[in-house]
Amino acid sequence: MDSALISEGAKRCSFPKFTIGIAIVGAVLLWGVYAMFLCWFKGLNQTNMNDYYGFALWIWADLAVIAVGGGAFFTGLLKYIFKIDELKNIINFAVIIGFICYSSALLILAIDIGQPLRGWFIFWHANVHSMLTEVAFCLSAYFAVLTIEFIPNILENRQANKVPFFHHLAHNMHGVMAVFAATGAFLSFFHQGSLGGVAGVMFARPFAVREGLLIWPWTFFLFTWSAAAFGPCFTLLVTKITETVTGKKLVKDNVVHLLAKISGWMIVTYIIAKIIDTIYWATVTAPSLGFSLSHFYTNNSFYGYWILITEIVLCGVVPGAILIMKSTRENPTLRLIAVILGTIGVCLNRWVMVLQIMAVPVMSFDTWALYFPSWQEIATTVLPVAYGIILISITYRYLPVFPQENELNYPVEVEPVTEAE
Amino acid sequence: MKQENNKAHKFGMVIDLDKCTGCGSCMVSCMSENNVPFKEDESNKKDSITWMRVYKLTNGKSFPDTEVVYLPRPCQHCGGKGDHGHSPCVSVCPATATDYGYDTGIVSQIYTRCFGCRYCMGACPYHARYFNWWDPKWPEGMEKYLSPNVSPRMRGVVEKCSFCYHRYQAARDQAYAEGNKGEIAEENYQTACTTACPAGAIVFGDLNNPEHKVHQIVKPDPHPDTMNKHVVGKSRNPKVFRLLERLGTNPKVYYLSEREWVRKQGDNYLAGEWDKIKNHHGSSSHG
Amino acid sequence: MKVDRRSFLGLGLGAAAGIAVSPVGIKLTDDSAIWSQNWPWTPVPVDGEVSYENSVCSLCPGSCGISVRKIGDRPVKIEGRSEYPVNDGGACLHGIAGLQYLYDPARVKTPLKKNGDKFEEISWDDAITLVAGKLADLRKKGSPEKLACIADKEQGSVSGLFKRLLKTFGSPNFYTMPSLESYLEVTAAALHGEGKTIAFDLENASFVLSFGAGIIEGWGSPVSCFKANASRKERHAKLYQIEPRLSNTAANADKWIPIKPGTEADLALGLCAVILKNNLFNSTATANFRGGINKLAAMLQKNYAPSRTAEITGIKAADIEKIATVFAKAKMPVAVFGKGRGDGAQSLKELAAIHTLNCLVGNINKKGGAFVRSKMTYLEFPDESMDSIADAGVAKTKVGRYMNQVIEKVNASSQPVVEALFVYNANPCYSLHDTKSVKQAFKKIPFVVSFSSFLDETAKEADIILPSHTFTERLEDVPSGAGLAKAVVGLTKPVTEPVFNTKNTGDTVISIAKALKGSIAQSFEWESYDECLEGVASEIWDSLSEDGFAVISEGAPSGSAPVNISYIAGNPATVQMQGDYDLTLIPIDNMRLISAGVAASPFAIKTVSDRVLKNTDIVVEINPLTARGLEDGGTATLTTPIGSARVMVNFNEGMMPGVIGMVEGLGHTLNSKNMSNKYVSNKGVNVNDLIGPVIESGSGLDAAFGIKAKISKA
Repeated sequence: MDSALISEGAKRCSFPKFTIGIAIVGAVLLWGVYAMFLCWFKGLNQTNMNDYYGFALWIWADLAVIAVGGGAFFTGLLKYIFKIDELKNIINFAVIIGFICYSSALLILAIDIGQPLRGWFIFWHANVHSMLTEVAFCLSAYFAVLTIEFIPNILENRQANKVPFFHHLAHNMHGVMAVFAATGAFLSFFHQGSLGGVAGVMFARPFAVREGLLIWPWTFFLFTWSAAAFGPCFTLLVTKITETVTGKKLVKDNVVHLLAKISGWMIVTYIIAKIIDTIYWATVTAPSLGFSLSHFYTNNSFYGYWILITEIVLCGVVPGAILIMKSTRENPTLRLIAVILGTIGVCLNRWVMVLQIMAVPVMSFDTWALYFPSWQEIATTVLPVAYGIILISITYRYLPVFPQENELNYPVEVEPVTEAE
Repeated sequence: MKQENNKAHKFGMVIDLDKCTGCGSCMVSCMSENNVPFKEDESNKKDSITWMRVYKLTNGKSFPDTEVVYLPRPCQHCGGKGDHGHSPCVSVCPATATDYGYDTGIVSQIYTRCFGCRYCMGACPYHARYFNWWDPKWPEGMEKYLSPNVSPRMRGVVEKCSFCYHRYQAARDQAYAEGNKGEIAEENYQTACTTACPAGAIVFGDLNNPEHKVHQIVKPDPHPDTMNKHVVGKSRNPKVFRLLERLGTNPKVYYLSEREWVRKQGDNYLAGEWDKIKNHHGSSSHG
Repeated sequence: MKVDRRSFLGLGLGAAAGIAVSPVGIKLTDDSAIWSQNWPWTPVPVDGEVSYENSVCSLCPGSCGISVRKIGDRPVKIEGRSEYPVNDGGACLHGIAGLQYLYDPARVKTPLKKNGDKFEEISWDDAITLVAGKLADLRKKGSPEKLACIADKEQGSVSGLFKRLLKTFGSPNFYTMPSLESYLEVTAAALHGEGKTIAFDLENASFVLSFGAGIIEGWGSPVSCFKANASRKERHAKLYQIEPRLSNTAANADKWIPIKPGTEADLALGLCAVILKNNLFNSTATANFRGGINKLAAMLQKNYAPSRTAEITGIKAADIEKIATVFAKAKMPVAVFGKGRGDGAQSLKELAAIHTLNCLVGNINKKGGAFVRSKMTYLEFPDESMDSIADAGVAKTKVGRYMNQVIEKVNASSQPVVEALFVYNANPCYSLHDTKSVKQAFKKIPFVVSFSSFLDETAKEADIILPSHTFTERLEDVPSGAGLAKAVVGLTKPVTEPVFNTKNTGDTVISIAKALKGSIAQSFEWESYDECLEGVASEIWDSLSEDGFAVISEGAPSGSAPVNISYIAGNPATVQMQGDYDLTLIPIDNMRLISAGVAASPFAIKTVSDRVLKNTDIVVEINPLTARGLEDGGTATLTTPIGSARVMVNFNEGMMPGVIGMVEGLGHTLNSKNMSNKYVSNKGVNVNDLIGPVIESGSGLDAAFGIKAKISKA
């Protein structure tokens, strides 16, 4: 029914089947939209946040989604600046994932703030000393960059591409894409870092505070590095999921192995830096403020050392090791485990750096805070996931996202050579 | 026009925890003065707006050696590291909705600019900042007792103790009207909690003014602390301490207690650390 | 003109550029900033001229002077009045929150008449006519003595008017709720003679030995006590607090002496024993004792030797000796009594035993000691007109000595012993022990008139409510008492026009009297209460109206007071607790709540700790050792012989093992079908639902300091 919109040669499931799939995910999306309106019209009392837990599920979702969306800028950097050309076969998808991640982040932010109609004050009354100001500017600018990076792919839709203007526009944009990739990498370096800075500059919160370089706490660099390291894990994970759902191989093994190897080395270098930072913080910074490591991890069974071990060892060292060793990297099961652990690891890191901070009391007579999100918070966090699934479904169906798709799934049939007549 | 008395003020407090009875008058006076709302259920102290909040501290010993002390905690109006005006909250507000006043030392809050990102609340270790999770509502007729000197807030914004800034403005206007520009008499600018305290446990005034009681009790050392260069204004009075002083927040609220266990709970210490530093106070140079 | 794509784009871009450099963008941005800031439901307080008015708070017997800040004609803030002789500028949280009572929409706004289980509005004229009609009927029946009245206190012109009404009507049945002042008078009567009261010069005492008095928790004149306590450090004065739990007073004291609940009298006598045995008493003072000092000494040696006292109280014998010695040897010692706020249930043996300590060390009428004064008489009412019905009625015997006996009699009798009841500034259905019995008695009384401003538990039992102004709306004399060293009368003044259709109860009483005609009306010939007050307080009216107060006396009274120790020498029995469960439930007076009178305001309730009130559950205090099988912060069922309630549990090391503490002042039910106050009502449990009265033989007082209880996981 919509075959005119589908790329030449590509095979897609029937339109009714597609519609049903979208409708199911759409229902979940609508649930999230309902919760969103509840929050906008009734206020933030719809959440389980309180004065101790001012940053909660949404902020974690923001940080996590931006971290895993780091695959977009990093893959762009590798492809356009470092000219690792093979990655052109996955860059479109990385951009789409990035687009989804960043638009989700902006949406969640619009719901999270107490006065959404005043959100633009962050630009109008910007405080140059605040890390969040930097985040807002760079996030918005980078979202514009992602949109620009996304547009050519949209214009390559079979019908759109027939319009000469669009065709030429897409072609020309591809030509200058390196500029945008560089801009995107520059912006990402800063806002990924600033998100780490959000935690690290809080000098009155011993769990969060870090020493640093000039105005940038070490968490700044660790966040950028981890986004670059684990972002590709997420890209690979979503690619694998898409391949499983569509039943097609979409990216050649060598591309996957290449990206996995780069990600692996990034993870290993990151985790070494992270371990050094953690040790320094635990043995020098926090004690200088009167806090031993056990203060943060031995009050109750939830906030225990298991968090530290899971984040650094299970979801850091292990995936890093798997991905840098050729034998394990090229093993599909182990690779899948690695990218899953990696994604969990970076999400856990973001949770630790915004939510665990909130739980830890600083005044010696203050109490620990526990928190579980309300259904409205959960629904509005699932909303972007549903939106992402829908957008990926639509773009996969109608846009030439994976250049190697046809080659991998519909080999050109060679006419058998007949004997000369 | 006289220019000599233009040294910046540094309004602060010292609270005598041995006199504090835990009665809560300071809390109610503050709420009444500043149009703070109330809900049907205020038993969840994690979303109850109390600009001034009285904490109950205990020495942790079992019966009959238990001891208890009450500690009133307003906004500490931190000066930040080195006391340069980079309070933990002011530094992080993305919309400059909170600002450090260099002329008064008071950290202000602009309700109409705050868009409720709550970063400042995360940064504050004293939990002195409160969010309007709900729209403040007053039972019908009760809005008549609201004061026009303090804006009632709307939901979605952060609020906190302002050291009764509106009273400062009134005192300043009065000083100008009396032709006394710059010098505000100690008794003309007192916060609501100070005047309410029936035990006289709170003393408020200009820490920079040697004639003010708060300065005489606290005797703040204007030099950076020899053990921690970020700390300025450490008290020379061995019975006086500040909350979380070693973080370098440089709060303007000082506390006094004869009891050592109380002073120790003002900050965090590693095992064995307290005994080493408990006799370290502001330097006695310059008297 | 050819509109092709290029020119269209050009026009569009041009327009966009033009708008961008015009002020439109900035203006719209600015406007939307304002749109997003001014919501119609955010109140904007009206501005106006600032003024300050002096008045006196009458929420509790403290009688603190207040200064009310007004904007135009709206009061917006209540603070303490500087240099006022009682409180010198301080105020407690309840007084400060006074405006929440003034503007409370759940107030009784107009006279109400009970119809079935609902209240209907009626006019003042109809209400007065109705009341006068019922009372006239009672007189016609020939039983005027069956009109009774409960007020908060005896002193003051409004109580004076109630007493006058009862007298000219023909009834002797005027009662007050138990209060610290009433207990001071009872103690004074037992030791010094009738018509006297006791005060404590805490601000000068060098050593205060307090037997559970909540000196910084609302005992006495609260703010005056806060100040006296706060000046201890400078004056090098000491406070020893004797109490089963670490109250705020105990925590602030120089020494906390944990004692088994209900054994304070025994300790006091044990200390007397040591003082007498070791010749630590003031011989000049004791030389003039009547009632047998030798008898006292002998009784004490026999029954209250240190080892015996130690056994009863749980305090080591050596400590008992030490406390007695340090007390007696102090320069200006004073022993203070009245557990908690001093209202509620107290035992005369305990009060008298403790006061005997004062007598023994000779601090009576000395600086820093206990002052024994005649009750304040600053009011002069003109002689009443009495007719024969009235004369006959007042000669009859009172139904009982105190409220608890009246309640008992009413419940026990099949014929009404009380036919009509006035209740003013009191809430017996909430504040007296065994509230179920009290409510039952009220239901049996055919005609109950409440003068309450709020639909409280007692007002709900009323047949008619004639609502009173709150203290910020009325003129009234406010005499000090409750142990305050000075004797001061303050004047509470209206700081605003009445918010609702209420009246000054003084005016209501005068109207009722006038409607009764005859000799009653003749005795109430004032046009208004304001006129009456000026007349009856003429002696001090100039001072009252100009300064807002009149100091009747300050400093130690001259001369000594006669001391008769026969009551205590007779070793009256110590009151025991009701029930046979293992644990002891005691009430706790919490400064942030109000145990008698009005319910605590929304502001006050907001300050209550979550270890006392959690959502709608009251949290009881229990030592971890006693809490076997219970969870800290968990729910439990608390059972006493009187009743059972769901509670939450707070493990508190400051509580003596074996004892459970429950605050007074929660569990109000201020709602009915057409009115409710969700901010302060239906939270927790009323501890008086669980404790029943135990009448002390001899004194007739309800002396139940607690009750046996058990607690188990819910």
